[in-house]
Formats: sequence, structure tokens, C-alpha cells
Amino acid sequence: MHASPEGAAAPLRGDGLVAARVSGGSGARRWALALAGLCALVLLAATLEIVLDAALGHAPLIPRSPEISSWLQGIGERLGYRVFLIALLAFTAAYAGLLALAPRLATDRRSARWAIALVAALNLIVFAGPILFSTDVFSYIAYARMGVLHGINPYLHGPHAIRGDAVYTYIGSDWLRTATAYGPLYTLLFSYPLVPLGLKGALWGMKLEALIASTVTLWLTWRCARQRELNPVPALIAVGANPLYVIYGLGGAHNDLIMTAFMMAAVSLTLAGRDAPAAAAVVAGALIKTVAAALLPFMLLARRNLSGLLGAIAMVVVVAVVSLPIFGLHGLNIIAALNRDAALVSTDSFATEIAHLLGKPGVFPVDHDLLKLALVAIVMHLLWRTWRGYDWVAASGWTLLAIAVTSTWLLAWYTLWSLPLAVVTRDRRLLIATLGVQALFIAHQTAPLFSPVSK
Amino acid sequence: MSDASAGLPRKSGWERLPERLRPREHELRGRGDLRRIESTLLVLAFLLLAVAVVNDVVLDTHTATRITADLRTWRTLTGRNYHNISVEQDLEHHTTRDILCGNTSPGPPGALPQICLIVTGPIVHGARAAHGGFYLLPYTPNKRINRYACFGSAVPEDLCGRATPPGAPHAPLAGVDG
Repeated sequence: MHASPEGAAAPLRGDGLVAARVSGGSGARRWALALAGLCALVLLAATLEIVLDAALGHAPLIPRSPEISSWLQGIGERLGYRVFLIALLAFTAAYAGLLALAPRLATDRRSARWAIALVAALNLIVFAGPILFSTDVFSYIAYARMGVLHGINPYLHGPHAIRGDAVYTYIGSDWLRTATAYGPLYTLLFSYPLVPLGLKGALWGMKLEALIASTVTLWLTWRCARQRELNPVPALIAVGANPLYVIYGLGGAHNDLIMTAFMMAAVSLTLAGRDAPAAAAVVAGALIKTVAAALLPFMLLARRNLSGLLGAIAMVVVVAVVSLPIFGLHGLNIIAALNRDAALVSTDSFATEIAHLLGKPGVFPVDHDLLKLALVAIVMHLLWRTWRGYDWVAASGWTLLAIAVTSTWLLAWYTLWSLPLAVVTRDRRLLIATLGVQALFIAHQTAPLFSPVSK
Repeated sequence: MSDASAGLPRKSGWERLPERLRPREHELRGRGDLRRIESTLLVLAFLLLAVAVVNDVVLDTHTATRITADLRTWRTLTGRNYHNISVEQDLEHHTTRDILCGNTSPGPPGALPQICLIVTGPIVHGARAAHGGFYLLPYTPNKRINRYACFGSAVPEDLCGRATPPGAPHAPLAGVDG
């Protein structure tokens, strides 16, 4: 952040249009402030409700987990669909309100401090609570324990190879026979070191990693917005108070947050003219989770210099030298992991929903091919646009959004990939599209509200 | 778009390319048509996704309402207020015909002989009509080889492939339309 000589009420550098709008009148500003305060309170209340209810333990929405948040028990009630969905919808409505109000308010350092405090509070509340809505974190720990405690290569075997291990009962049934799809950098740097802490310690370690990754992502989002002369406060709120980011991404301690931190580091480094480390950061992100590789062709095409390519190659070589003796070639076989994941189908994917709309029971192999074709066409168009001067950050964001939308395996946190990129580009369509896709995802969750099945 | 100011290509080997193929630092102004086409396609894609989502929510809601009625039907006809009743939907032909199975007497789910009802038709007063049924051996999947003592519409459909085991419950259920 930049220091301001004007002190607490100094205007933030950024959108001139915003500054013009704000000068509308102090009465309107007071109303906007009050409404923003109300929205912030709703965000905090909804998050607290979900976390406190989830702390009571296993429920249809909350995975089985070792006791890590028992100290929060005794206030809430066991989390059911109805309460969760109402809290999620309230959170979403308040977030939308805050996004609408942010450009009117986010003009001085005091507003910036309030925005930072709100986002920090949301992050910390979720950090203090249990794992929400996903068993993925237990898969991360299982793969690490396979390698460190049992001497089993997680790139060759699924967790069923460690059936007697303490973590086994917490892993999602879909993944028991699935080898890890995460990159070797993630496995070596972010999961193996946590194993000596034991199961609970590793779980807290994963949560801490997610919190730190979230903080880094948000800080870099702020920094990139300033580097591009955009108002950083709405950018911070759009990412850090996003319902899917807070509740699903951070709540599930997903490693997507680590990947986005590397992505945003790459954007920030590019904006500072440091192409080699920027490309290395993209590759590092891809060696956490493959999808980050989508940024590389756009970055290289836009920068058109050798140093970016060399930076990318250097990072691949370094990680390969370290990981090959441990995992063999399987650790770097990104294509195999991508092909395997591309064959999965989830009920929340848009592909499945369109299949239902067309009267089909689900997605067929031909649909997978059609979706891949559509994705290739979109990427080719974006590559051409980037070649002809379109913002490579926006093109990368569109690609990540297109991957999520055309994927037959869509999860809430996949819709977050494009969000931090969207808030640091001037093509506002990307942010609108990302938020639109997220809104549709949330709308798809609401069926139990209309007709709850009685047990 | 990105910074919309017009830019010039770098002085490099790219200049040998025709102008329309050369790389640019910034997009040229006057890409309004392309932007309009892109925006139109985006809006159309969003509308398609929105319709698909609404359709799915409606389908899910109908299914949930139907299953609630099915559970009530099973409990009313069997006179047993059990919680663990399995519901099998017709995923092959996408009809609203459901098969519900639950224990014939109190015990862990599936541990005892189960009575299964074939439920079809519209929801009337919160329940649907059961047209037939059968019994199922404990701890077995709902396959013909494990079914016995068919009654109602299950008889002409030949759903049962096993004789009634000695001492097993087998009486046709009262209230089931034949």
C-alpha cells in the first residue's frame, strides 16, 4: 500500500469517475455508509452462524473431522440445509450490496481500513471454525502421510493403500482409490512438512496455509489494483468478502488459495516489469494446481520476450530436479491428471444442468468432446486477442472462467479462479461474468429451500 | 477491453508480418463491433446457463416433493414410522416411478427382510399410489434374484426371482392397488 501524506482522510489513488460520484452530497454518503455498515454486519453474522453451527460436528453439510473447534460448541445448533442456505443467501445479498456501495465509499484511508478490518474478521472467523463442506483437506493430508509415514508414492496410489491410517475414515469415498492430482510443489512444500504435526496438527497447518494464502492473495490483489491505477478497496471487497471465497474456499482450506496467491504474484511481478520471476510464479502455481498454467501462454504472448520463457523453464527444471527422485515422472505428468479429472462429472456442473435441460440424464462422452472443443475455440480467440493487444490478465481470467464453466466437474471454489484477476482488469465484463456464474452456482444450491425432504 | 488507447507494434522482426497479423502492445480503438459480438455471446451463454439452473432447481424441487410424498406413502401403508427408507428412482427411463424399501420390523437399516413398494402417479393429499411391491432379502441389493413374494403390479411385471424363504414375512400389503 502507498503511504499518504494527507493522513486518515486522504483520497485513495484510483478511479477518477469514482471520485466524481462521491462528491454527490454528504447526506447520500451518510446513507451509503449506514447501508454498508449494515451489509458488513450481515456478512459477519452469516459467517458466525455457519461456523458456530458447523462447530457442532458432523452434519449432512459438514464432513466428519477430528475435533478441532470444540471450543466453539454450545452456542449454535447442528447445521442443516435450511439454515445454511438462508445464511448463504443473506451473505450473498449483503456482499452484492457492499459491492454496489464500495465505489461510493472507498475513497479515503478510513474506508480502506474498515474494508481491511471486515475482510480480516471474515477470514479469522472461518479460520477458527471447523472444515466446511468438503473432505478435500483430508485427501491432502492422506497423500502427505502416504509419502512421509508409509513410503507410498501418492502419484501412483490412492489413499486406500493406507487403510489403517488415522486419516482414512475422513477421506471422501470418491477419492479413496484416486492418486493425487496436485502438483509436486504442493505435495513437497505445503503438505509433507505438516505430517510430523500429527492429524490434528496437520489439519490446523492446512487451515493456516489457507489463511496465509488468502492474505497474500488479497494483499497482491490490492497491490495489483494500485499498480493498474484502479481503486483497491472495491477490489479487496470483491475478493475477500466473496461468499464462495470465504465460506467454501477458505472454509474448506482448499489449496486453490495457494494457487491463486502464486497467480497474483505473477500478475504483480509482470506489472513491475519482472517477467522471468513472473513466469516462474505461474509455473509454481501450476505445480500446485495445474489449472494455473492457463496464465502462461497469455503472459508470454503479451510480453514477447525471452526472459519469461526462461523463467518458466527454470522453475520447471528446479522442481523436476527435486521431485523426480521422490515421485518419479508421475509427479510431473500433468496431462494424465488433467485427463482423469476431465472425465469426472458433478451435479453442480453447468454441463450436467444443460444435459438435464435437454432431457438427457447426464453428460455423455460426446458432450465431453463438445465442451473441450468449445474451450479450445474460446482459448484460441483469447490468444488472438492477446496477440493484438488485449489485456493478458483479462484473457487469463476469461480462460479460467471458461475452464470452470465447461468443466463437467464443477465445485464452488473453481468459480474463484478468475475472481482476483477480474478485479484488476479494466474489462468489467469479466468481473460481471465471474459474479454471474457464482450467482448461478449459489442459485443451484437452493432447491432444498423450496421443498425440504422430510426424513 | 484493456487500456483502449491505440498502440503501435514494437520495432522488431514482427514488422515483416502484414499489419493485421502483427502483435500490438495495446488494442486499437474502434474494436466496438467485436466487443458487441462478444458481449452478445456472453449474454446468450449466461441466459442459457440461467435457464438450465432454474430448470434444474425446479426438477430437484419436484423430485424432493415427490420423495417426501413417497416416504409418507410407505409409512402410511406399512404402518411403520421408520426413518431409514431407501428410495430408488427410475433413472433409466426418467419416469416418476419410485421403489421404496424399508425394514419389516425394527432393526438396523437393511439388516432384516425389507418390504418394497412401487409408487407411481400424481401426489394427492401429500401421498402417491402404490400399485405393487415385493419383499427383499436382508443385506442384498434390489435385484430380481433377491426379491420374493411379489404382489400387485409386481406379479405381471415378473419382478421376483426367488421363492419365499421359510418363516420370512410375505403377506401382500393391504391398501396397495393391484
